[in-house]
Amino acid sequence: MIRLTKRLSFPTLLLLATAVVLCGTIITNQRPDIPEDEVTNRPIAIVEDGYVSSTTCQACHPAQYDTWSGSFHRTMTQVANPETVQADFDEVTVSEVAGAPMHLERRGDEFWAEFDDPGWEGPSSARPRITRQVVMITGSHHQNIYWYATEHDRALNVLPGVFLLNDERWVPRSSVVLSPPNQGVATHDGHWNAICIDCHTTHGKTQFDTPFRSEPISSQSVDTTVAEFGISCESCHGPAETHVDTNRNPWRRYAMHLSGEPDATIVNPVELDPVRSSQVCGQCHSIWEFYNSSDERVSSTSGLRYRPGDELRDSRFVAHPTTNANSTEMQQLLNTDPDFIRGSFWSDGQVRVSGREYNGLIDSPCFQNADTLQQTLTCFSCHTMHKTAEDPRSVSTWADTHQVSAGMNDNSACTQCHQEFAVELSAHTNHGENSSGSSCYNCHMPYTSYGLLRSIRSHTVTTPSIQESVEVGRPNACNLCHLDQTLEWSGEHLRDWYDLPMPPLNNDERNVAASILWLLTGDAGQRAITASSYGWEPAQTASGTSWMMPYLGELLGDPYAAVRYIAANSVRSLPGYEGLNYDFVATREERFENALDALTTWRNSTQSRNRRDPQLLFSEDGSLDTARMRQFFSQRDTRPLFLRE
Amino acid sequence: MSAPTKSIDYANRHLRFGWWSLFVFLCLGLTLELFHGFKVASYLDVSNATRRLMWTLAHAHGALLGLIHIATAVVFRVWPDFAVPHRANISVYLLSASITLPGGFFLGGFSFYSGDPGIGIVLAPIGGLCLLLAVFRLASGQLASTNRQQQQ
Repeated sequence: MIRLTKRLSFPTLLLLATAVVLCGTIITNQRPDIPEDEVTNRPIAIVEDGYVSSTTCQACHPAQYDTWSGSFHRTMTQVANPETVQADFDEVTVSEVAGAPMHLERRGDEFWAEFDDPGWEGPSSARPRITRQVVMITGSHHQNIYWYATEHDRALNVLPGVFLLNDERWVPRSSVVLSPPNQGVATHDGHWNAICIDCHTTHGKTQFDTPFRSEPISSQSVDTTVAEFGISCESCHGPAETHVDTNRNPWRRYAMHLSGEPDATIVNPVELDPVRSSQVCGQCHSIWEFYNSSDERVSSTSGLRYRPGDELRDSRFVAHPTTNANSTEMQQLLNTDPDFIRGSFWSDGQVRVSGREYNGLIDSPCFQNADTLQQTLTCFSCHTMHKTAEDPRSVSTWADTHQVSAGMNDNSACTQCHQEFAVELSAHTNHGENSSGSSCYNCHMPYTSYGLLRSIRSHTVTTPSIQESVEVGRPNACNLCHLDQTLEWSGEHLRDWYDLPMPPLNNDERNVAASILWLLTGDAGQRAITASSYGWEPAQTASGTSWMMPYLGELLGDPYAAVRYIAANSVRSLPGYEGLNYDFVATREERFENALDALTTWRNSTQSRNRRDPQLLFSEDGSLDTARMRQFFSQRDTRPLFLRE
Repeated sequence: MSAPTKSIDYANRHLRFGWWSLFVFLCLGLTLELFHGFKVASYLDVSNATRRLMWTLAHAHGALLGLIHIATAVVFRVWPDFAVPHRANISVYLLSASITLPGGFFLGGFSFYSGDPGIGIVLAPIGGLCLLLAVFRLASGQLASTNRQQQQ
């Protein structure tokens, strides 16, 4: 050894030592992860078909990459690993699921769950337990939905429990969607691969050899791939391989910079005409179906045909009952699913579920009737996919507030076109200038859609009217804030202020607060939206809160878990009820007991005697007219409702 | 009758230029550190990543070129015969490189296009070429000096 050292010169030794250190660094920095193309139990990300992935985009567009990276679009779908899993898997037993408790455990960097086999078709008493690896996550903002490897090709299925991020707890999957009680939510092996993939990944290819559920999954081949998990750059800008290759040439790049001409090798949605621009968002934020089974087959093999900049309707049927309720395609959908329209739309065709804002936009007069292209409302009129450097908010704040552009979370969004209202706002609104009643959004985009266990703003810009409440049942903007007032009261103001006709009203609509009618007689969707408004600060300020408890208390016993969840959150927003002891997925008896405790607290408080308004069903002596409540309750719309958010 | 050629003290020129160059670009480095200290968004934000890279390169190249000037001056002074025929060219190339190379990076970061530096960056490769020529001349001067010494 000494002789060998003597024969080697100092520089050679130095070179060898450097090589050894370099190799050591490379080896220790290598992640132990299995290479993506060797993963067999879940869909995999492969760069192909002209897609290059966001990491390539990052090199030249670091700011855009950074803001996208901080958005919930990126994390819509993630591979489950210690960095992405937010729920506790450390030997946790979750009893709040259908059947026997689900047991979760961590094995190194892997996550595993043991639960009742959802695919079992024998007697439920003999339902076997299965243990599966959790491999994928949907959502990172409000909920984590976990997907497990079914151990059949790359097919995934969903865990029976969902993790609520704000509440930091597991709840049954059936409780986080507005679905009829005891009906459960269907889960099938391959559900993610066939359904979720379309909008939660970039260039997903289902690759079922036969259509999903056309035969038992065990006899199907499932080789699902995506270009990238989550909604990435190329979802909105289109496949970028040509763009990247072309722009390796610096002369071309600088010629483009100096000329200011748009780059024809890539789509910039903001520069498209308003219709095509909005369709880029509409490719996911709309309710759509394939035109026919052959489209589904092509999509399964090659990915969805739509590319940003294309006409969306060329490749898919966008369900839009206000224009195509009688179309062949819609009738075919209704033949297989009679509740297709009711589950997503109000009876006048306005969309009522979240995540489908494109449907709302295209029904808006600001989209349909604008004088110029520049004035046409698009998604980008209010939202931006890349927070600008001038926007003082942090990326997380911007992402958390629906990626609304800087300054567009107030009336500026509307006054950029409707400048006349910016000058004398109160003259138009008949509310104080700084009042929530002078917010354009509150009156023209009220919270009449439902999704993710809350009400969300309608994206159909409308004029407030009580007609919609009388004829369609949709809560109107006035009474979603003035929860303690009747439809007649709102109708009179709308008539006096804006010359809107007063529709015929029945006795209850004239004399009972509209919100109480919606809570007691409405369907589950109306109840959820109204209960959400009871917890909305502007509505509480406008209506007072002392009278709300008995009505929200009624909803604590609602048959729909989602309604109970919203009602409980609204109760907790009332003064004195912040610590409400109530679990929306506890047993019926426990829920009843806790709701009764809260009601007793209210009845014994001075709050219960603050209001004696007849429209709130209080008599002059301050007692609640429970007989009328029961009467309304008997009139409730109990038709089963599943809102397909 | 032509005017007498003024003898230029290249060693002195590069010594002075080198130290002043070092001073200027160390000042730039200090400014950049202050930008870090005070978290100046127009330098540190991801949207300004190109500026940050360009100005860092300007600082690094400017300071290193200052050191090259000083080293060149020392060589010229210690070895009076070193590369005498090429000293004028070497000097011009080095001075040009010291202005255009860090200057190009600085201007490239002053205004820029997303991931591409501003048009001022065209100066940087010109500066790089000048530096290359200067170093080549110095290297060939070293070679000539060695040959001369061997012949003597």
